[in-house]
Amino acid sequence: MSNYIPTIGVEVHVELKTNTKIFSPSVNGYGQMANSLTNVIDLGYPGTLPTLNEEVINLAIKACKVLNCKIRREMHFDRKNYFYPDNPKNYQITQFETPIGYDGYVEIEVNGKTKKIEIEEMHIEEDTCKSTHRKDKTLLDFNRAGVPLIEIVTKPCMESSEEAKLYLEKLKELLFYSDISDCKMEEGSMRADANVSIRKNESDPYGTKVEIKNIGSISNVGLSIEKEIKRQEKLYESGKSFKEQTRRYDDKLGDTVLMRVKETGNDYRYFPEPDIPYVYITDEMISNVEKTIPMLPDERRSKYIDLGVSPFKANKLVNNRSLSDYFNTLLDSNINFDIASNLLLGDISGYLNKEEKVITDTTLTKERFIDLVNNIDNNNLSSRNLKDILSKVLESNSSIEEIIKTSGIKNITDDSKIREVIVSIINNNPDSVNDYKAGKDRAIKYLMGQVMKETKGSVNPKMANEILLEELNK
Amino acid sequence: MKDKLTKEEVLHVANLARIKISDEELEKYRVELKQLLDEVEKINDVEGYDEERMIAPWSDNTTLREDKSSDMLDPKEVIKNAPKHSGNYIEVPVVIGESEGA
Repeated sequence: MSNYIPTIGVEVHVELKTNTKIFSPSVNGYGQMANSLTNVIDLGYPGTLPTLNEEVINLAIKACKVLNCKIRREMHFDRKNYFYPDNPKNYQITQFETPIGYDGYVEIEVNGKTKKIEIEEMHIEEDTCKSTHRKDKTLLDFNRAGVPLIEIVTKPCMESSEEAKLYLEKLKELLFYSDISDCKMEEGSMRADANVSIRKNESDPYGTKVEIKNIGSISNVGLSIEKEIKRQEKLYESGKSFKEQTRRYDDKLGDTVLMRVKETGNDYRYFPEPDIPYVYITDEMISNVEKTIPMLPDERRSKYIDLGVSPFKANKLVNNRSLSDYFNTLLDSNINFDIASNLLLGDISGYLNKEEKVITDTTLTKERFIDLVNNIDNNNLSSRNLKDILSKVLESNSSIEEIIKTSGIKNITDDSKIREVIVSIINNNPDSVNDYKAGKDRAIKYLMGQVMKETKGSVNPKMANEILLEELNK
Repeated sequence: MKDKLTKEEVLHVANLARIKISDEELEKYRVELKQLLDEVEKINDVEGYDEERMIAPWSDNTTLREDKSSDMLDPKEVIKNAPKHSGNYIEVPVVIGESEGA
């Protein structure tokens, strides 16, 4: 058990899903030929002027709303000055004095308790060009220069790597669901830095802060924080101190590596960007954005659970946006939602993954899906038989009844017929019956297998199981 | 009021601008930069300067641009003005290890 209390804050950069860049009409795209998505503004040519993209403001307002931030109604941009080849203007346009969002929060579940992760501020800025460092040269691709970003900064309010991971997962889910960003950490559209310090007691001042930069995945955020806490503990325990510094996580090494020791405060000489006058956020802008916010993941989960879907399955549905959107269209219908969620997550997902499709690519309209669920609910169709007709269900427009009829499937729902089959199986398997009576549960499985074999899977398993137990216990 | 900047102040500015300066230049800039700063300081004497800072000459809302793309540069044009290039990439001296920007 560690003697130290970790303090963790997280900064996340998220690329916004716009058509064009923040200050220029160049395309905002990924994976294109190097330097093919640029114009003179992105390249920082003298005499060019930035024009602020309306959609960036809308998406930033949306992010404020889903992250429960207050919205600053009067704001401006600032210049952050530095010399580095990733930004030929020698300044980055960002928000220093008047970040658009502040005092927000995200709720996470830690050990069954809800914890609020407080968001200090959220600001808008431009991304820099992408530099690739080779041994003897650095290569620059300006396709990323000017891509709109929001940076979301938490207070130092997390106490474990687990909390940091849960926060990032929640943040990603919220921003993805509200179409603010595609949040792909592997493509760099979501990038996380973590600030880590440790101290002995709550009453002590914070320990020396170490920033871990550009961590490439949520799981690595967890690993790097754990490693960093251990490293700091070791130093303090051996009586050493260290300077504020920036480190990065080395995946191969499985540890953090020093990048640089922080010099006496970064001298970015911020000043207001004179090329972009004030931006005023009106009530109308906010209410227009609010209309575009879809039902968010937490609300979806609790709605599904209220309708009888298990928490595990509700979560699985929410993890698949297209299935969850589809499920949402059914919420006001009167069906067995447990069966509906089983179908979507089971056979239908299997088919969609195999065919590399999403559910809206299939012919399964809401009405046909409801029919399908009801047919299973009424024992007209067993899940075993569904497999045989699945392609017809998803690729044709025939009614579910017609597909069942023409496929020659007849589910045995007649109690007496099932009983007849079961009695004969019991009579033919006296050993298994004795095993069952001796308390061997495996015998039941074997007998059920015989029932399914005999009826070619055309009985409702639940019904057959009940009758089997009845007959065995006679 | 001192009439010169300290050596450290000038070296700090030189470092931010990524330029090397000789001892002779250092002494010259201690005086010249101080004179420049003094000129700028005079703005503080303007009546009402501190009361309401404006970042633009007018307080109207900035005009927002519709999120529609327009013509972009051919990568060949982009690399034309670069001193060096490697394929479609602009090439610069290796910068790893220096302080990163944003």
